[in-house]
Amino acid sequence: MIRYKIERYLTKNRCTMLGVGPMSKNCVDAAIELANELDIPMMLIASRRQIDAGQFGGGYVNNWTTEEFGKYVVDNDRKGRIILARDHGGPWQNDMEKIDCLSLRRAMASAKESFLEDIKADFQVIHIDPSVDPYGVPKVDEVLERIFELYDFCWREAQSLGKEIIFEIGTEEQSGGTNTTQELEYVLKEMELFCSRNRLPSPSFIVVQTGTKVMEMRNVGSFDSPLRVSNELAAEIQVPKMIELCNKYKIFMKEHNADYLSSEAIAWHPRLGIHSANVAPEFGVAESKEIMRILRDENLVSLEESFVGLAVESGKWNKWLTPDSSAGDFEKACICGHYVFATNEFIELKNDIAMHLQAKGLVLDDMLKYAIKQSMLRYIKGFRLVRS
Amino acid sequence: MKNVASIVLNRNLPDVTNSLCENLEKYNGDMTDIFVVEAGSDDDKLSRYSSWHATWPEARSGGLRVPRGFNYGLANLYKQGDFENYDYFLLLTNDTEFSEEPIIDPLCKIMGDHPRLGILSPCSQRWGEKELIPTGDTRYFWYVHNTAFLLRREFIESVADFDEPSHMQFLYDGSNFRGYHAETELITKGYANDWATGITTAIWAEENEKHLVSHSDLIKTDSYEKNLSLYVEQGKIWMKKKYGFNSRWQMQMYAKFWYDRFFEFYPEYEKYRI
Repeated sequence: MIRYKIERYLTKNRCTMLGVGPMSKNCVDAAIELANELDIPMMLIASRRQIDAGQFGGGYVNNWTTEEFGKYVVDNDRKGRIILARDHGGPWQNDMEKIDCLSLRRAMASAKESFLEDIKADFQVIHIDPSVDPYGVPKVDEVLERIFELYDFCWREAQSLGKEIIFEIGTEEQSGGTNTTQELEYVLKEMELFCSRNRLPSPSFIVVQTGTKVMEMRNVGSFDSPLRVSNELAAEIQVPKMIELCNKYKIFMKEHNADYLSSEAIAWHPRLGIHSANVAPEFGVAESKEIMRILRDENLVSLEESFVGLAVESGKWNKWLTPDSSAGDFEKACICGHYVFATNEFIELKNDIAMHLQAKGLVLDDMLKYAIKQSMLRYIKGFRLVRS
Repeated sequence: MKNVASIVLNRNLPDVTNSLCENLEKYNGDMTDIFVVEAGSDDDKLSRYSSWHATWPEARSGGLRVPRGFNYGLANLYKQGDFENYDYFLLLTNDTEFSEEPIIDPLCKIMGDHPRLGILSPCSQRWGEKELIPTGDTRYFWYVHNTAFLLRREFIESVADFDEPSHMQFLYDGSNFRGYHAETELITKGYANDWATGITTAIWAEENEKHLVSHSDLIKTDSYEKNLSLYVEQGKIWMKKKYGFNSRWQMQMYAKFWYDRFFEFYPEYEKYRI
């Protein structure tokens, strides 16, 4: 039913579906509110680092466990417009599994536990991505074997719980480049064979590299570059080829890392036939930037220093920086501010800002949600989810 | 008379141009006549292979670039009455580098094996396209970067403007000065007129950008970064003015439309489709 609904919506509206990373509670609320106000389907795509089962310590977003997050969304999504989706589920996708240096079998068991919690919490799209392996880069056949095992597990558990799920497969490689059509076709063929042999439904989405890559607060991949990128297949060739292949195998194409694309590039997604695209850090950054703007406009210098200090100290900006980065503390805080939103220190700080604004009749969370919504609307309009 | 005319664009880099021409002469001299277009070069920086020298003030100050430069060379051949003597035209910018071996004969043989190929380009080790083409084979594309194009005369005859040929109009549209998506326009015209464009991995050609990056002062041209930004900026204006296209993707989809149509009418070439 869920697959049918998505297919019908995409066909009828010639649009691209938006997958929103739940970067914060405000971000989740903004997505729910927009989806309900505009009557559009929207996916909330939670990585295991953002939201995970209680036994794995939850995630950094609002300290929610999978169960709490699922319940919150289902309770607040009045019209049922949100599709809960697990993004990059699989072994070693939770930091604890890496820190504990779990063996393959232990990590697979751990991933299964996490998936089971997802299914129980009404997640409807399960992205299986077993490409992470601390013991070496797994070959494509090893990745496929792990997908098969987890796919079979999730399907059977969902059946026994009476839950409806659909699957997303594909490895995440934030290369900004392109995986080959041969690789993609091989994975699709093997997957088709596995599903037909085991009488399992085919996956609904596959992650396809279209040449998007997020660094700092911009998209540096080939998709949005007017010039060809050395050693890459030109995006002008890659994207139509990949879409043709997905259509041949009747699977929806899912683009990851669509953050910060130009409005022109966004508007081309539905026209090129890209079925779905994920955007995550951009929305977290939109919230952090708005916090910074408020702090500066209100001249709350010490609170600004505290927020910047907290964010910079977290070190979470590190993985987003370009090798030749000139980002200062302000930029670093904007890049990774959302990672500290659920810490006690930030909650205290945020209360202080809220109190300050309250005296002026302003509600901080409303202001933050407004900024996030503006950022989301750029995609919602560009993807033709609403007609402007 | 040889059946291939190689036209090389030079602007103030005689050594680089001479080196490319020497390679062509040494390994392909029996197949090709070599012509050099001096794109507004200083008088003391002409290649010793120099054939035509664009000396009007605009060319002196800003050069000719790909569209005007190759138009100028081809138009001169046409005006001289030599155009019809050649079966193929190899268009090269002077920063093109080939390995030390014959390249024209194998390229012409491929053209012979593919009678509907209008444009053939050697592949580059720096292009991801190489992954789509089996070793030593050829595939048809709707997007090809124009480092080295071998063009069939009949193809040029079907798409070129033979009224008053000049640097501004012949094969390319000279109003697209820096040539952003000029190759896409040419490829599209080809498919619309039943001529395909192919890339082959039988021959390799590399564009040595070092000359543009490090020697823009010697060339007397814009810096590498400024050129890239003007290339895109001015190209977008040209695209909008000529086609009403606001995005490079529209140009690409336009090319892809004719590419797909080509195989409807020539299904025998389906095996070369990517």
